[in-house]
Amino acid sequence: MLSRLEAKKPSLCHSEPLTAEKVRATLCVLKGILTSCYGPSGRLKQLHNSTGGSVCTTSQSAVLLRNLSVTHPILKILTASVQNHVSCFSDCGLFTAILCCNLIENVQKTDLTATTTIKLNTHLLNFCTSYLRSEACGCRIPVDFSNTQILLCLVRSILTSKPACMLTRKEIDHVSILILRAFLLIIPGNTEDPIILGKSIIVPLKGQRVTDSTVLPGVLIEMSEAQFMRVLPVRKSSPLKVALFSTSLSGDFSDLGEGCMVVSDGVSLENAVLDQLINLGRQLVSDHVDLVLCQKVIHPSLKQFLTLHHIVTIDRVGVMLMEPLSKVTGTQPIGSLGSVSPGSYGSVKDWCSAKFGWKHFFHLIPNEATVCSLLLCNRNDTAWDELKLTCQTALHALQLTIKEPWVLLGGGCTETHLAACIRHKIYKEPGSILQDDGCTQAELQLIAEAFCSALESLAGSLEHDGGETLTDMKYGHFWTIQAGPPSVVNWTDLLSRCGCGVYNSQEELSWSFLKSTCHPFVPQACLPHETEEIRPQSTHSLTLDCLTAKLSGLKVAVETANLILDLAYVIEDKN
Amino acid sequence: MAVSGSVKTALQVAEVLEAIVSRCVGPEGRQVLCTKPTGEVLLSRDGGRLLEALHLDHPIARIIVACVSSHLKKTGDGAKTFIIFLCHLLRGLHSITEKEKALILENTQTFERRWKNCCQWKCISQALLTFQTQILDCIMDQYLSRHFLSIFSASAKERTLCRSALELLLEAYFCGRVGRNNHKFISQLMCDYFFKCMTSKSGMEVFELVDDCFLELNINVTGLPVSESRIVDGLLLHRDFSVYCPADGDIRVAIVREIIQPVFSTSRSEFVVNSEAQFQASQIWIMERTKSVMKHLLNQNVKLLLSSVKQPDLVMYYARLNGISVVDCLSSEEVSVIQRIIGFTPLVLPQASLQCEISDTALVKFCKPFILRCKRYVHLGLISTCTFIPHCIILCGPVQGLVEQHENALYGAFKMLRQLFKDFDLNYVKKDNNQNDTLSPPIYKNCGKSNQLPKSYTQSIQRPYQDTGIKSNDELEETQYLKVHSNLVVSNVELETYTPCSPPKVTPTDAVHTDETWRCLPLENDRVIDDYELLIESNSISNSIIDNTRIEISYENFQIIDTAKKGSMLPVKYRSLDMCTSQSFCSSSIPAGCVLPVGGSFEILLHYYLLNYAKKCQQLEEIISKLIADALLGIPKILYKSKKGNHSFPQIYLRALHTLQTNQPMVRSQTGLESVTGKYHLLTSVLQCLTKILTIDLVINIKRHPQKNSDQDSDDELQH
Repeated sequence: MLSRLEAKKPSLCHSEPLTAEKVRATLCVLKGILTSCYGPSGRLKQLHNSTGGSVCTTSQSAVLLRNLSVTHPILKILTASVQNHVSCFSDCGLFTAILCCNLIENVQKTDLTATTTIKLNTHLLNFCTSYLRSEACGCRIPVDFSNTQILLCLVRSILTSKPACMLTRKEIDHVSILILRAFLLIIPGNTEDPIILGKSIIVPLKGQRVTDSTVLPGVLIEMSEAQFMRVLPVRKSSPLKVALFSTSLSGDFSDLGEGCMVVSDGVSLENAVLDQLINLGRQLVSDHVDLVLCQKVIHPSLKQFLTLHHIVTIDRVGVMLMEPLSKVTGTQPIGSLGSVSPGSYGSVKDWCSAKFGWKHFFHLIPNEATVCSLLLCNRNDTAWDELKLTCQTALHALQLTIKEPWVLLGGGCTETHLAACIRHKIYKEPGSILQDDGCTQAELQLIAEAFCSALESLAGSLEHDGGETLTDMKYGHFWTIQAGPPSVVNWTDLLSRCGCGVYNSQEELSWSFLKSTCHPFVPQACLPHETEEIRPQSTHSLTLDCLTAKLSGLKVAVETANLILDLAYVIEDKN
Repeated sequence: MAVSGSVKTALQVAEVLEAIVSRCVGPEGRQVLCTKPTGEVLLSRDGGRLLEALHLDHPIARIIVACVSSHLKKTGDGAKTFIIFLCHLLRGLHSITEKEKALILENTQTFERRWKNCCQWKCISQALLTFQTQILDCIMDQYLSRHFLSIFSASAKERTLCRSALELLLEAYFCGRVGRNNHKFISQLMCDYFFKCMTSKSGMEVFELVDDCFLELNINVTGLPVSESRIVDGLLLHRDFSVYCPADGDIRVAIVREIIQPVFSTSRSEFVVNSEAQFQASQIWIMERTKSVMKHLLNQNVKLLLSSVKQPDLVMYYARLNGISVVDCLSSEEVSVIQRIIGFTPLVLPQASLQCEISDTALVKFCKPFILRCKRYVHLGLISTCTFIPHCIILCGPVQGLVEQHENALYGAFKMLRQLFKDFDLNYVKKDNNQNDTLSPPIYKNCGKSNQLPKSYTQSIQRPYQDTGIKSNDELEETQYLKVHSNLVVSNVELETYTPCSPPKVTPTDAVHTDETWRCLPLENDRVIDDYELLIESNSISNSIIDNTRIEISYENFQIIDTAKKGSMLPVKYRSLDMCTSQSFCSSSIPAGCVLPVGGSFEILLHYYLLNYAKKCQQLEEIISKLIADALLGIPKILYKSKKGNHSFPQIYLRALHTLQTNQPMVRSQTGLESVTGKYHLLTSVLQCLTKILTIDLVINIKRHPQKNSDQDSDDELQH
């Protein structure tokens, strides 16, 4: 009590926090950590607590930022906004974080007032978003749902960009196909509006080979070996009748009310309840139920009774599986110990017990349902965790493409292309961006340069092995040269494909180094779906990004950067 | 430890606060990041929040913060201006005392000097109080009121809200509240929300409802860009369906506050179990009862059950069987919002029979799940029975701190509007015919004797009819004769100045008559008198018809003065004044919806009139008026600090003074409006705060834990 009455300590107030050397240094460190993780060749980070606990190896922003404990309020804002973005879209977390850091860093070098930079940043962002959404956009591809090629490329790109999953090329192909199949299984067959997607449940199986992973329609319920042996392969005519209980069948009293309960001597409530349970069992038997599932616990006597009557019982299913189970079987979870309305029973086509690796599962095979189980294997815990997160990301990205059926070119090409577009726009018609806002053209040029180089160095951070990063002067795509022996005379011979894989170096292209300044040019919007017809084999290796996630990441990055640049004070409560 | 409470220390404290606050004020203001001890990060430009976050230690600072927060509770705006204004007042006082100290002989005893000081401070604080309660209201009413614009357009019989004016008002408000890149978007959102929620009949109760239930009427989403924020029709509940059964057609909703399933025993009762059969029978009865209740609900066409408590599995089961959707665990605030919107009471389940008709149900247009970034909400299309049309705001932002900032700003804007839509009575009664009025220098007396006033003063009252008069004359014929007659011409939007709720009914012939007089107003002096007589005639007619509305009279008043200037016919003016004032016998007020352009126009105007007023005052009053007038300029000074050249403060100030003196329409560099009442409240709050500070002579620091039986707020009191 006394401690609560203690007077509060005054807060610390720092003015112009971004100018502080310490803040710049910490921002730089954070940026370094994030940049080194970016892309398929990103470096992995091992996170461990010196006081114990598990060690995790990752290169994903979601895991990294969750485990990093940042103390400075500005970093907190940055990481929180990236984490919030990731929890909304799953993808493009590192993109957002690095772009935000780059923007803050570049804008600070310009020495313009916060008002001007924020205004201009917002204008540039608006230009980018409207360009990416417009028909003229040269870095997006429409998704054709009748052809899985693009979707598969999208999934594969996401898997490739997470090196901590430790997958080989073959494994990536295998898992990509599984993910795509899992996605297609949850799309309902009837096309009513609105489309309600089903659910894909990821079932862990650690210690197995990745290629053992599989997708099954329906629900897998894990069970012990003893249970597994007991499940009799009852062969009956399909469909099989299922009852799903949400209430406990253990004979406990949960809602007796707030008052007292006086039990006379010799009266056994347990017996009373058990009688009731057996009555319920009799009803189930007479209703010809074949399978009883219970979220909570089933009383052993009732279990015994049901087994005697050749009814399979599975209890402790858990609340997480309730919704999928109810969907798969078409039952209504029963909440009553009294009479069960016949309408609340459901059915499945078949069930079987299956053994995957060292685990035993009870597999419910639905007649027609939008639930599937993705049995995911990986060699060790941390790699499995990473793979699971990646699969969720990929599934989410696929779902987002339903809403916006477009994908962006990945591999840094969208970034360099956007930068080229902005440069050209500023060069040609700066007035359309300025919109008489009281900013001068020189200011616009400075900020646009900061913005473009933030985008380009973001693309450049895909390269980690000391290679050169370039952009071509026709499409504005991103190219890298591997650092190799300097003996080669003509370095253009080292270029093979651009970052996204749409163009190869066979075309008559000229390149320029990303760090050098080049003359603004019109980035050509040669739509890749036209080239696809010419070179069908090229679509196989396209690197693609989810449009919705990337667009939102771009917006969040610029907004967060603006927010941080706008700070005049940081007031730290020291209580 | 005791610290003498002096202006000097107060000034030091205020200057520190001013330094912090002045960077966040106005459209160029920047954000402040506050961390909470829990580690949460908060963004703010709200002065009140900022001051609170500082956890100030100094006793004087704590007085100031307490004053600011009590002011904010009232108006929801103006914390930063408060500090700046207070600081300037203290600075002014300090320089006055410094001057006087030089005069006082050094050989006086310390104690004596302090005693003297205290007396002096007491004098000054008393004078400040008198100023605040009497003179300020008088000046507001007499001079400032003519510059007021209104957000209402008084075209029809009832006042209608002018959307463009509201937009300007909100934009100016959010300019100082949210980040620069978002203020336009947020103010547009607020404006849309406001007009979507209001019906033509809506009044104050809408503000009250929104004010009370603001948290329930908006949903915060983090991780999405701010531009994804939007307004949705209906009400969003902050939770998911426990049971969802799609339904269409007639959906009735019922609210319950208790568990539907009967229990064995309620509190303070006993349930005696005599046999196992009895126990089983009662369990079966409970099930049957629950089943029949749900059946009964379905028979009444109830398709949606809202519950403030968690309902057991059994209820869910029967709800699902009967196709009734259930939302449980609603907070009491959510339940009360729903009740206020649809206007019915929660259902009390009949104990005995279920035959009766349930009257406490309401129709909803739809009820469906609403998914926002993977989280599910319940979306209800309530049919409102009050004047509030339910809508929800979905506020998005990359971080929670930013979303909260926007939420607070929206909340504050509603508070501000709530106050703006109320008439505000000034503490100033116009009772002129009594010559023995006790009010210190009444303005209208001075008006009457304006021939003794300095020239500039006379001019100040005169109106720019040379310019705008012609324009309004043209309009006179077809419309009411009250049109734009303020010299503040707002760019882009044509704002109509305040006209009273009951439009003046001037008979057409009269209007034309006056019109003609105006037109043939000659420059020669000899014909002027006739014109004036005509004018007075029309005035007397209109005055007798209109219901003595204050503003109206001041208008008449100025019209006469204006013409009087041209002909320099003081007797006529005198007469007209007498006539006007004799009829206006009501107390004055700032009418609802009064606004002034942003960018310090209130301050400059008040500054100007106060200076004029000060010229004819006694010594102390003159000092006080000048002090306040000068301090007022502090705010525009900061607002224009970053502007250069033509838009720098001295330029703006000189131009404003010039236009006031020569009665030209003021050209403004900024668009946007602000509430007059808010500014007025701010002024009075600051003056009250200053008197509070001045009356303290000693601050005694007690090093002891506060007593347990003392009040919650005793913290502050113990320090002084």
